[in-house]
Amino acid sequence: MKRRPEASLTLRVRTATEECLLQVVPGTSVRDVLDTTKIRVRAACGGNGSCGACVVTWISGDVNAQTTAEYQRLQPAERAAGARLACQLRLQADSEIRIDDPAPPSAWTSIPANSLSAAPAGRPELQQHIYGLAVDLGTTHIRLSLWDRKQGRRIATRRGPNPQAIFGADILNRLASVIDRPERAEEVAHLARDAILHALRDILMRDVGEVRPMLAEIGEVFIVGNAAMLALLTSQGARELLDPENWAGRVNYQPKDPAAFQSKWLLPHATISLPDPVSGFIGSDLLADLVATRLIEGPPGSLLLDIGTNTEIALWDGTHLHITAVPGGPAFEGSGLRNGMAAEPGAIFRVRPNRDAWSLETIGGSPERGFCGSGLVDAVACLLASGQLKPSGRFASPTGDEGFCFDPGNPRTALHAQDIDTFQRAKAATAAAMAALLRQAGMGWNSVQRLCVCGAFGHTLDIAHAQAIGLLPPLPVEFIELAADASLAGCEMGLLHQDGLATFANMRNHIVAINLSQIWDYDDLYIDHLRLRPIQNQ
Amino acid sequence: MLERIIKAYNEAVFETDKEAAFEVINEAMAQGLTAEDVVFKVVIPAVEEMMADITRNPDANLAQHFMTAQIAAEVTERMLEKFKHPPEIIGRVVIGTAAGDLHSLGKRIVMGCLKALMVEVVDLGVNVPAEKFVDEAVAHDAQVIAVSAMMVHTATGENGCRKVREILCQRGLEEKIKIVVGGAPYRFDEALYKSVGADGWAADGITASRMIIGLIRVVKDGGGP
Ligand code: B12
Ligand code: FES
Repeated sequence: MKRRPEASLTLRVRTATEECLLQVVPGTSVRDVLDTTKIRVRAACGGNGSCGACVVTWISGDVNAQTTAEYQRLQPAERAAGARLACQLRLQADSEIRIDDPAPPSAWTSIPANSLSAAPAGRPELQQHIYGLAVDLGTTHIRLSLWDRKQGRRIATRRGPNPQAIFGADILNRLASVIDRPERAEEVAHLARDAILHALRDILMRDVGEVRPMLAEIGEVFIVGNAAMLALLTSQGARELLDPENWAGRVNYQPKDPAAFQSKWLLPHATISLPDPVSGFIGSDLLADLVATRLIEGPPGSLLLDIGTNTEIALWDGTHLHITAVPGGPAFEGSGLRNGMAAEPGAIFRVRPNRDAWSLETIGGSPERGFCGSGLVDAVACLLASGQLKPSGRFASPTGDEGFCFDPGNPRTALHAQDIDTFQRAKAATAAAMAALLRQAGMGWNSVQRLCVCGAFGHTLDIAHAQAIGLLPPLPVEFIELAADASLAGCEMGLLHQDGLATFANMRNHIVAINLSQIWDYDDLYIDHLRLRPIQNQ
Repeated sequence: MLERIIKAYNEAVFETDKEAAFEVINEAMAQGLTAEDVVFKVVIPAVEEMMADITRNPDANLAQHFMTAQIAAEVTERMLEKFKHPPEIIGRVVIGTAAGDLHSLGKRIVMGCLKALMVEVVDLGVNVPAEKFVDEAVAHDAQVIAVSAMMVHTATGENGCRKVREILCQRGLEEKIKIVVGGAPYRFDEALYKSVGADGWAADGITASRMIIGLIRVVKDGGGP
């Protein structure tokens, strides 16, 4: 049933309690691969073989020869029994290993190296507190990276859930949770702050090898996020965000008492930098996307789409950045669908026809548990192409209570008529917002030269499929870039820049914010775009 | 001939193909069907057919709801101008989205269905304060106030339906004016409408019009439910 991407090897990993299959890009160390999953080896150094904690047992498959570090850290008897250091171990063919003593479970994993951007130049002039933390504070996930700012070296990254989700999965519920109970504001702020610090300690423990002294060496924490996340982090302005008046207006979440705010971070020498968001519904995470993709340095007709719980869209026309936000995203992150899920192990991320059946690929090669965004786009596009789904979004023949099962033996592979409707609404909201923005700038699809797709779909979105169902416009494929982690990349550039806050503030000067509820025919555009068909040129 | 027209029209609406639906209507007029016949024999039965279809099979999607309502409303509006005698109006409704809420589409679908079923609708727009709902309902002699809310906080908050109820109560209008609500939050919690003080709710525009017509009758017959 499962295919795997070209040029990758398969690593089978067993522990006392579980087993999984991982795709490995040749040349990557086994530790680096495992760090991106929930099964992590123990570690207390940056993976240079000096701590000797990352022991695994090699079972089968062609791998590199033992390194000097392994000769130094492992006893001959251990080595003879197959012991290897995961950070030294590299696959040359499909292989299998066992981990007898994995690291305790943690919410934090590393971001795969292939989705990180090249490191910006360092700042040799820095004399002290040279380390810095870049944080993309998302509604659902937090992504961050620790830097040696002097050398311009990324030490490690982490990605984990935003624990504030217990107070509401979406922005509005979370805001409401503190509006009803002001005494809860500090608790909600603390949750995010604590999660960031926890991830930082995880990096220091596993990738640096010392914690306390390092905390004192951190000179800056640069945080981007949507306006609601910034409001919750600084415990202010939640009620104002619910007022439509403030959606397009400038909002300010600089802490009222900066000294008190900084002291809560327990990082004695760190400045906490919070670039201002654009407006109540456009966060500083979008500014980070713009910084990372250098959108305004490109040709007029450059478009950026950041798909998330709140999808943000920017269009550069050569003079202005037209920006809007549309809440179309949750369906692409799996929410609201019976078998929807985030891009986690077991999520179907790719669907292809395979003679008279379907081939489904899942993350981690584990049994199918549901569809993530890119799998959903594939599934809908494949059903449309095969005529099983009509452009109206109706199934050609009724699917019954079980829905349409891609693998008849597994109900988790089913899509129901209601799921298609939810999906259509999400893609229509997104596509119609792009159309409205283009029109507002006096442009058509044929004047678009570049489209950066950031956010929820990661790197696995099939662009042709997204075009066939009308989620992405029918541009030549070479115009379209998948830049999943652009907001972290932009945040890193802000951190490494001499005056990152000013870079972000300058970006705001080009911006014209557009509230779609003031576009009189946005809802007509929305309805037009519900149809599953390529986006029509306007 | 009528049967063929009805079938072609229903098919076009079902497939959310607006152009095709209008073509059918234009052709029908060219073949001598009166405006009254188009509305009463084609459009209204199609809306009712859609209602029945939704009850049988809850899978109709948003585009279908919208097209049914939109096509029906547009055709009806165009035909009304051609009516020999003004049709009998069932009643009057003021509709808007709750304070703080700018989502207009749900309201539009409900309006479309109501118009096609000969209910007069006064559109108050979006982000409508509670006082305005009541003032306008009184000014237009409406039997029903319809409040659409797509977000949880505008559906349950103190400035939405709850406040409309409060004002109706203060002014002693509760027998004369009924409140109905709708929008995504009510679909997730089917008892929510009661806790915000509404008299009724509906999951979609088509069933909404049936429920609203029921309430108009209750008010006109001069009693509470
Ligand atoms: C399109 C859209 C928008 C558009 C609205 C354009 C417009 N002119 O309407 C824009 C982009 C402006 C927008 C803005 C925002 N939105 Co919005 N939006 C949506 C979206 C994608 C579709 C909503 C819609 O139009 N549905 C179509 C309606 C017709 O569908 P329906 O519910 O099935 O309607 C039927 C019934 O409810 C019923 N009905 C409806 N009204 C009534 C009234 C009565 C009286 C009766 C009886 C029945 C009835 O009949 C209808 C027809 O069959 C939804 C997500 C989704 N997939 O649904 C989010 C959503 C509603 N939005 C949401 C949010 C958060 C926002 C913003 C706050 C985002 C932001 N940060 O800026 C702003 C708020 C603006 C404001 N103050 O109102 C959230 C609300 C979450 C929550 N917890 O409540 C949603 C659910 C998305 C999400 N999952 O996060 N949005
Ligand atoms: S020796 Fe492998 S991580 Fe330290």
